[in-house]
Amino acid sequence: MTRLAAHSIDVELPNGWDGSIYSRNSDPSTVAMPIMHLATFPLPVQRGDFGGGAVELMGSDDVFVSLFEYGPESVSQPLFRGLGMNLPLSPRQFNPSGLQRVIRGQAGYQRFFQEAGRAFCLYVVIGSVFNATRLARQATNALSSVRIGVPA
Amino acid sequence: MMALVTIETVLIALLAILVIGLLRSHAEILSKLHELGAGVGSGDTDPVVNVPAPQRLDRGGRTGASVERLTPVDISGVTVGGDAIAVGVTGSTHRTLLAFLSSGCSTCSGFWKAFRLEGGVLGGSVVPGLGGARLVIVTRDPSEESITALGNLVPSKTVVVMSTKAWSDYAVPASPYFVFVDGPSSSIVGEGTAATWDQVQRLVSLSFADEGGANGATRKTMPGARMQAPGDPPNSLSGPERELRNDMELARAGILPGDPSLYAKDIGEVFPNV
Repeated sequence: MTRLAAHSIDVELPNGWDGSIYSRNSDPSTVAMPIMHLATFPLPVQRGDFGGGAVELMGSDDVFVSLFEYGPESVSQPLFRGLGMNLPLSPRQFNPSGLQRVIRGQAGYQRFFQEAGRAFCLYVVIGSVFNATRLARQATNALSSVRIGVPA
Repeated sequence: MMALVTIETVLIALLAILVIGLLRSHAEILSKLHELGAGVGSGDTDPVVNVPAPQRLDRGGRTGASVERLTPVDISGVTVGGDAIAVGVTGSTHRTLLAFLSSGCSTCSGFWKAFRLEGGVLGGSVVPGLGGARLVIVTRDPSEESITALGNLVPSKTVVVMSTKAWSDYAVPASPYFVFVDGPSSSIVGEGTAATWDQVQRLVSLSFADEGGANGATRKTMPGARMQAPGDPPNSLSGPERELRNDMELARAGILPGDPSLYAKDIGEVFPNV
């Protein structure tokens, strides 16, 4: 297990998983919001916040997770009224139409929620809808160790 | 009389030049001996310079605190930009070449340059020239590195992890140092140092070939490069490549630079008939 922690987000990665917690801010006048990526395959350096450039590299046994934080003004929005990530993930929650970018064979799941007064979007991609049961379990296993705290 | 004085002066000048030359040559010899670790002056109490203290290693090549660890570990640290990053090395479906580099070492500069030039080819993480293995550069923590210097060195498409802990976990003796990890078997299949990126690629390719051909990347275990046995087809390695391969074999057997077994105890071991 490898521990990854930044921006008051803490996760214990299963062996062999890649992970990254970063922030991207092209506008210096705004606060940079953190994004966490977890993957069972080598994450390329250059990739989009929702996995563009990475999901294309996935095999049928791979999982990609993006935890994207929105600004504090979003917490009060109806979209984020759900509490927590609502684990475990069910294989039935994964659907090809849930993908940000449709890639044949893959399936995606998206949930908007709030935790510790912070607004997030959880986006999970599995490499093959036929392996949904096993891959949903793997994603749940990785996500169950995520701890979200109040920003310092 | 005048002629004798002139001749004597010239002779004295020539002798002075000769003496200065001899002293300079002597100083250079002493300096070289000192660099090689030969004690000068104070005998046993003199420190050995530029030569690692002799250490007996286990077969996995581990040293010190990690002497019991024979298996690789996943790596975590920060990027040059300060973001948190973790790299899965063990239990993965691929192989990983860990390149332990620093911004200050002169030999490393060739690797930084090669990685930048091959940035487009490396395609982010996986190196086609390495049989599909992934390249990950590991430097020491930001507190022990120059972020400014690294900012000018790091390739834009290659993963760079700053982690002194990784250097400790893999018992890296110095930079540059390379560790080749087989993810499916969670084992280190080769490690050692090299002078050029071509040498590293060649050795990794050879280790794939040793395992059974071009499809070696799909195999689950890899015993690593072996020494060429009598009757084996020639592998056409150059001198430096043979030296590097020998170094890696020795490292895998637990023998690193400075190991006592590499040095003769007396002249009789080298020339038994003398």
